[in-house]
Parts: sequence; structure tokens; C-alpha cells
Amino acid sequence: MHNLVVCTLCSCYPLSVLGLPPAWYKSAPYRSRAVIDPRGVLKEFGLELPEHVKIRVWDSTAEVRYLVLPERPAGTEGMSEEQLAALVTRDSMIGVGKVSAK
Amino acid sequence: MNSIHDLGGMHGFGAIDAERDEPPFHEAWEGRAGGLLEVMTFPAGFTVDRFRYLRETLRPDLYLTQTYYEQWIYIAEQALLESGMAQAPKRNDAMRPEAVWGFLHDRSHSGRDLDAKPRFAIGQRVRARNMQPAGHTRLPRYARGKAGSIVSHHGAHVLPDASAHGKGDVPQHLYTVRFAARELWGEHANPRDSVHLDLWESYLEPA
Repeated sequence: MHNLVVCTLCSCYPLSVLGLPPAWYKSAPYRSRAVIDPRGVLKEFGLELPEHVKIRVWDSTAEVRYLVLPERPAGTEGMSEEQLAALVTRDSMIGVGKVSAK
Repeated sequence: MNSIHDLGGMHGFGAIDAERDEPPFHEAWEGRAGGLLEVMTFPAGFTVDRFRYLRETLRPDLYLTQTYYEQWIYIAEQALLESGMAQAPKRNDAMRPEAVWGFLHDRSHSGRDLDAKPRFAIGQRVRARNMQPAGHTRLPRYARGKAGSIVSHHGAHVLPDASAHGKGDVPQHLYTVRFAARELWGEHANPRDSVHLDLWESYLEPA
């Protein structure tokens, strides 16, 4: 399962948690394609998902805001909460990237 | 409003230009424009829905070519012009610095109490209505007429279609609806994929 957040109608974004949205999030290419071609969009961000992974796209059409709780990467079993938090990126919380153990 | 802002599913915009280490603002004036709109005194009764609607009224060629903060300035101008505030500013209405924090944290609450029971239940099959309003709506074209399932209920929220046009809050139950990618985009879509939209009760009918 992989989650991806977009706002096709304007630029709704979980601003109070993630800060200002990046310009690409507000751009026509991302807004138009995230819903119809999420796999192509992810590939552009360097993330190629296997066919069997389900993609769930969340189009923010109301005042509900979405962000992704990133999947814990392999090899992080011994890490503390602070060490794990340091791995999390903005992109992984939008869903265009994964968290890696560095 | 069937205009260019409703981008979901369109082709031809090219690659996503994801800038590395993007600064919060590319030019100083963008930060000023953003800050100006956060704290400016909007006309009485102005809502976030009116804000979005005014952005949608931008000419389609300008919508696609102006920068984000140019569009914010356009929205501010329109808001002031349509209310007459640009001609007759009332200085004593201006927001005081001590009011800014509360304003930033209160204005976006769109949840409302509603006595009416929700019409739809979690798991129920529904269809998005084929509606084509000339005014503001939050039902994208790509979902109109399509069937999906209710996955969550968020209580009642201000209806943008009314709020954007000065018709009050008209709160309605709001649901997250899951649509299979194949229902929206046809047989070439991955059968495992889905798109979720937050939709008001009047956008939906039982399927």
C-alpha cells in the first residue's frame, strides 16, 4: 500500500504541520497527473512501485488535510524515536518519496 | 465552475519540476504577498470558499501562467473591489497585531453542528452526481457520475457551493469516498489503485 496526497482543484496542503507547500505541489503538472497517473508521477520522483502495491491517492477537496505516515524502512530496528524522526522527509509525508535508512 | 482550475486527469502539462532545496519564497515580494493576505482585513462575510472561487475566476491563460503569489494578489484585489473596500477603506476596521494569532488559528474551522442524521453509512455504495454548476464547487469533473464507496464521515462542514456566493454556511455531512481508479479512468488503470475525495452529501446519491 502506498499513499499519495494532492489537491487537484487548488493547492490544499497540511500547512500547519508541513509548512509552505513546494512549488511543484501547486503546479499544473502535479495536480493534473497525480490522480490519473500516480505511478508515472512517482517514477518522476525516482520511486518505481511494483504492480502489486496498491496506490491510494487522496484528493483534498474539503477542509480535511492529509499527510502520509511514512513506512518504517528496513534496518532501523535499533533506532530511537529521535533517530527515526530525523529520517522523515517532507516528500515522504506527501507520498512522493519513501523514507530510507540512509 | 468548469474552468481550468479543475485539473485532475488532464494531459499535456509536461514533467513535474521538483526543485531541490526550494526556498520558502523565490523573491522577497512573494513573502510579502503571502504575509499580506494572511493578515489583511477581508470584507465581512468573506470565506475561504469565496477565496478559492475568486481564484477560479482568473482568466484560464493567466491561471496557468501567473505565479502562485501573483494569483493571491489578484484574489485580494477582487475581494476588496467587489466589496467596495478598495474605494472606501475603513481604517478602524484594520486588524490589530494582537488579533493576528487568533485569526490565523480560527478562520479555517469549517466543521459545524447539524441535527440531521447522515444519509450515508460507512461502506455504502454512492454515485457522485452529474452536476455542472457555473459557480464554485468542490466536486471535480473527473468524479462526476462515478460510483464509489463511503470510507469515512467527517461530521457536517460548511458547503463551499453556498459559502463562496454569500449564501451562508449551509452545513452538510462530509464524507471521504473511495473510487476505484478503473471506475474513474477506464480499463488501463491499475485495478489495485484508488482515488479518495472528500464530498458533501448533496454531491452524492445512493448507487
